[in-house]
Amino acid sequence: MISKLTKFKNYRLRTKLIVTYVLLTVIPISLLGYIAYSQYTNSIEEQVGEYIPKLLEQANENIANQIRELRKFPDLIYSSDEVVGILRKDAHQSRSSLLQDEFTVNNYLSRTFINGGSQDILGVFVISKNRLFQSTKIPYTNFGLMDYSQSYGQDIQLKTDDVFVLPHQTSLRFEGNPPFVLIMKQLTDLENRTDLGTVLVAVNVTFLEDVINDMSEEGKADLWMMNKEGRIIYHTNSSEIRTIDREFDEYPKINGSFRTTQENANRLISINYMDETGWTLAHSILAKNLTEQTDLVRNASIAIFIVFVFISTIISILLAWNVSSPLNRLTKVMKRVEKGDFDVDLAIGTTDEVGMLANNFNSMITEIKDLIRENYQTELKQKEAELYALQSQINPHFMYNTLETIAMSVEDDEKDTVIEMVTLLGRMLRFSIGNKEAMVPIADELLHVKDYLTIQKIRFEEKFDFSIQEEIESQNYYTPKFILQPIVENAVKHGLVYGRITSIEIDVCLVPGSGGAEEIALKVKDNGSGIKEETLADIHQILASDPMAKRNSHFGLINVHARIAMNFGSGFGLNITSGADQGTEVEIRIPVLKNGNEGGHYGLKKN
Amino acid sequence: MKLFFSLVCTLSLVSACAMPVADHGNYDVIYSIDEVVQEKADAKQAQQITIAVVPKVVNIPYFNAAEEGALEAAEDLGVNLLYEGPAFADAGQQILIIEELIEEEVDAIAVSANDPEELAPILLKAKEKGIHVITWDSDTVPEARDFFINMVDPETLGRHLMDTLAWNTDEKGEFAILTGALSAANLNEWLHWIKVHQKEYYPDMTLVEVSANDDDSQRAYASAKKLLEKYPDLKGIIGNSSVGPPAAAQAVKELGKEGEVAVVGLSSPNPMNEYLKDGSAQIITLWSPKKLGYLTVALTNNALKGIEPFDWQEIAKVGKIRMFNNTVIMGDPMDFTKENVDQYDF
Repeated sequence: MISKLTKFKNYRLRTKLIVTYVLLTVIPISLLGYIAYSQYTNSIEEQVGEYIPKLLEQANENIANQIRELRKFPDLIYSSDEVVGILRKDAHQSRSSLLQDEFTVNNYLSRTFINGGSQDILGVFVISKNRLFQSTKIPYTNFGLMDYSQSYGQDIQLKTDDVFVLPHQTSLRFEGNPPFVLIMKQLTDLENRTDLGTVLVAVNVTFLEDVINDMSEEGKADLWMMNKEGRIIYHTNSSEIRTIDREFDEYPKINGSFRTTQENANRLISINYMDETGWTLAHSILAKNLTEQTDLVRNASIAIFIVFVFISTIISILLAWNVSSPLNRLTKVMKRVEKGDFDVDLAIGTTDEVGMLANNFNSMITEIKDLIRENYQTELKQKEAELYALQSQINPHFMYNTLETIAMSVEDDEKDTVIEMVTLLGRMLRFSIGNKEAMVPIADELLHVKDYLTIQKIRFEEKFDFSIQEEIESQNYYTPKFILQPIVENAVKHGLVYGRITSIEIDVCLVPGSGGAEEIALKVKDNGSGIKEETLADIHQILASDPMAKRNSHFGLINVHARIAMNFGSGFGLNITSGADQGTEVEIRIPVLKNGNEGGHYGLKKN
Repeated sequence: MKLFFSLVCTLSLVSACAMPVADHGNYDVIYSIDEVVQEKADAKQAQQITIAVVPKVVNIPYFNAAEEGALEAAEDLGVNLLYEGPAFADAGQQILIIEELIEEEVDAIAVSANDPEELAPILLKAKEKGIHVITWDSDTVPEARDFFINMVDPETLGRHLMDTLAWNTDEKGEFAILTGALSAANLNEWLHWIKVHQKEYYPDMTLVEVSANDDDSQRAYASAKKLLEKYPDLKGIIGNSSVGPPAAAQAVKELGKEGEVAVVGLSSPNPMNEYLKDGSAQIITLWSPKKLGYLTVALTNNALKGIEPFDWQEIAKVGKIRMFNNTVIMGDPMDFTKENVDQYDF
């Protein structure tokens, strides 16, 4: 049991919830139903058990009344003095007078009993001093003087007033075999106080039949009347008549009802004892017939119960699922987070505990994400600062070459040239020193590049030329500092081809960007020897990789690309198109950064 | 799986409703109105009952017949019977007998009183002792007894006796009445109704004398003779008590006046058999004294059991009785003539 409990503890939450829900609904309902049903059937049995004995008592009373009536029939003999006079005589007379007496008495019996008496009288017999007088409604067999008058020629002497002779006690049968009882009564000469003989009145048991059949309710119940020995006088099932109810002695000696407990199909038996005759009227009905109505109720309630259980199970599954599925989703999301994917959103949409949990989780993830980004950005800034620091220096080679050119100009005494170059160089130096600003207006950046290119042009004289086109108000747009210079340096370095004039074009314009917003494109184009295809692919690959990894020959390009990407995201940066001997075009894409706060979310970052 | 299991569990629980609840014993009594008690103790109890029946007088056919009936009833009902009466119809003798019976602590005394007044104190004494006192045949004052068992309605009987005489005298002429004791209540009541009836319906008839004989046969015979001699035109004699008609018939026969003087009255068939057949008496009227004896014991026994008689009560081997004013009427009087007198044996 305990191991089962611990086992249960380890079940899934959903299973536990479902089992708990189902148990919580099913057990009370089934218990309630069971108790209600058993109470109901018991109370029905009790009601019937109380009601039927009363009916039986009533029926017995009716029967007793009829019997009281029937018992009076033999006394009708007394009303004829003539008949009593004949009965006072004995058999020792001439045949003719005996026959005359017989005629008289039979006639009287017919008149009084058969024609005038009750419908139920089948026949009447008077046995007196070895004489038999009779009158019957229907023919009979097996009844004669020898059957009833004792073999010694003596009359019957009944100890009690009257006796009921039951069908099994006599061989008398009427045609058609109607069930009957014989009321046997001693005829006493009331005046002389001697025996006159015995009268037997055969009475059809319809008086029982009517009362009993009335109660049998279309054959659902058995009713029978039995005497003291349990001999059945009348039974609703006619084949039982004259048999003995073997259980009669075991029945509780009460007027009331009891339930059999030892039979397959239990019965409710009610009995009532009739003092009048010592007979017992019994009523037996199968308990299941009583509870037929309740069986319907029971079946219906079982059906409802099943439906209910089904519905409650579905509801409990839904509820359990409702609780467990967000948890499952949470688990999955947590696994994703564990693998480093912070772009998750646990959308639960409810405001219950699970919703709160999800919200908390979401905010936790957001917090973590922010922390990470902050950390990352700090790192980026450091890198950028580093790259910037590298970029912001003026190439010593350039310095050297410029100074050399200045020196040569001094030698040639070209005073104007010297002044111009020193001025240009000085402005350049000042631009690079004034590196407090990470962002500068595009015009400043262009001026700086122009200074550089002007110096180179002075140096290379006719072999070199350049042009700058501005299609926008470059004074109003901003760009990170030193992004053009490395590209232009590269173009000068790689684009100079001896034997022809090297030309560099710088173009600043607004172009539609991939996100729909406009972007600024800074194009640097040369007519140099271009880049070989392999090298170009190589450069593209390097541009896509970590800018801090190594610093090789393409350092300038990479540096610029990395800085733009760090500042504005990967959608911005360099795009190089080139072919062998076709020159090279480097396009720098940056977002539109306007003066003031018009730069959208790409705020001006100040170092 | 778990779900299915719990479903099965609960379903079996619900379907268990239909299963019978086991109980010990073969039968489980649900409801009982009362216990059935078969009557058995009755006979034993009856053994202890002693009923004393006191007639007016013993050794006359009428009271002998009553004794037979009483004995039959005692046997049928299983009670002890003491049948004790005085040799002469005398109230004093009866008082002595009743005193003895009180000492014997009988349960009930049924008495045919010779005098309604004189017997009252001793009967009241018996009542005080808790003895049931019933009168039969002849009543006492009502206070002294529980109820009175009368054979016939006195009015019916008195008027009927007058009728039987009138039938045999063509409704005219003189007649005399032989009565028993002048103090006997029942005789006087009948006498009263005979006179009433005669005055109402038979103006041509004259009652010349009422002669008392105290139920003594000898004295009755003597008075009858005297009457016949005294009134030569006498057309009829009514015997108002059972000794009257035989005495009158004997006197008529001896004087050869059969047919001339009609003899009717109250008497048993046996002593009158011969007279009826030879014409010295015409009709006698009576009830069955045997039946009366039987009824007396039966009703006394009933009273001891607490069953008071009621109107139209059916008494086994007797028939229906009437009851009013604390008086039981056994039935109607019977007439005996020479045609049917042989049927009766008392």
